[in-house]
Amino acid sequence: MTYTTFNQEQFNATKEPMFFGHHVNVSRYDVQKYAVFEKLIEKQLSFFWRPEEVDLSTDRRDFAALPDHEKHIFLSNLKYQTLLDSVQGRSPNVALLPIVSLPELETWIETWAFSETIHSRSYTHIIRNIVNEPSVIFDDIVTNEAITKRARDITRYYDALIEGVSLYHRLGEGQHTINGETVNVSLRDLKRKLYLTIVSVNVLEAIRFYVSFACSFAFAERSTMEGNAKIIKLIARDEALHLNGTQHMLHLMADGKDDPEMAEVARELKDQARQIFIDAAEQEKDWADYLFRDGSMIGLNRDILGQYVEYITNQRMVSAGFEPAFATKQNPLPWMNSWLNSDNVQVAPQEVEVSSYLVGQIDNEVQSEDFSNFSL
Amino acid sequence: MAHIIKILEGFSFIPRKEQTVLEALEHQQVEIDFQCREGFCGSCQATLIDGEVSYTTEPIAFIPEGKILTCCCKPESDLVIELAFGCKVKSS
Repeated sequence: MTYTTFNQEQFNATKEPMFFGHHVNVSRYDVQKYAVFEKLIEKQLSFFWRPEEVDLSTDRRDFAALPDHEKHIFLSNLKYQTLLDSVQGRSPNVALLPIVSLPELETWIETWAFSETIHSRSYTHIIRNIVNEPSVIFDDIVTNEAITKRARDITRYYDALIEGVSLYHRLGEGQHTINGETVNVSLRDLKRKLYLTIVSVNVLEAIRFYVSFACSFAFAERSTMEGNAKIIKLIARDEALHLNGTQHMLHLMADGKDDPEMAEVARELKDQARQIFIDAAEQEKDWADYLFRDGSMIGLNRDILGQYVEYITNQRMVSAGFEPAFATKQNPLPWMNSWLNSDNVQVAPQEVEVSSYLVGQIDNEVQSEDFSNFSL
Repeated sequence: MAHIIKILEGFSFIPRKEQTVLEALEHQQVEIDFQCREGFCGSCQATLIDGEVSYTTEPIAFIPEGKILTCCCKPESDLVIELAFGCKVKSS
């Protein structure tokens, strides 16, 4: 079962499951099992942006004028975002590429992870702009307990899958003794690990990121740190796409047409998967305690952010096919919609990218009735 | 022909022909979540109880059975829809 970078077997890629089938050989996109992944790739490519496009010159001044407790909120939020994108910039590649079996899905995973590296570059761009010594901020990410506590839950499903897959590739299924320890490698168990990983990635992108976006936009809602908010808007547009990628995967898995065993796994793990959502929501609320430990800011405090956590968790649980967990039914931050709206990510189209403007998208199908309104 | 949109536990109205369902709801000051407005984020879902819609662009977001993505569809018949968190009208 060793991984091979160019599988020379002859097989029909459109008959393969998403994961744990044959290793992909030819990266071809003329025939696709799931066209949606190809569409996600196209969309993501059309979104391409660079952090340097966004002018941050007023943010430095804005940041210096913030009171200390708001500096703490802003920087902690940024550190958390940096952590999340550090994980997402590499983990989908390391964990999923060795087991993926569809060319379009393989390329989606690579495109997805690549866009996360742009996000990471943005944080450096932002941090370099507002402080003189970026190391102080970056170094704290691995030592700050409030951050590392959450990092554990974010990464443990990925890590378990990566370890399991490497044993599977090296040793195959069965019982093995490694360094005196007995390990059982089974495909069924790996599928369980994969399912939980995809759930936790969906939680990461669809809940954790959105909670951090709320904090970023709360500053801009008061007309401060607006350059930062512009970058976060671009990041939010990408994340909206990514979270749909994992939602599609979860639904395809649960449906069973892709891989019947995966559907059994999804049924078995339903409660555990649901608990991942609930635990993440609780962690995000704890995080809100840490953010606002020295005081709230106008428009956002611990309680409101906590309500938003519950609201967005409910939404995402329903979208991923689970029963909602919380009673909250109303969006406590109605202004989030207009900040998240990706149609107006930029004001001057000649200066930057407009998401709805796709290069090379020409409609060649022109019928005579298209001219019916014309008269000479 | 004009179609009627009925919001369950809310009210009925006749949308303008050129509007998507999302735009029509916003025109009526109904509170509804949205993000991308072009069919890839899935935020603006509603449950379609009765009726038919057509999509102006093919949505990328996953749409569960019985749901519609309001940002990129238009009514093809009279519609009965249900909003996830009830029909709330903006107070302003």
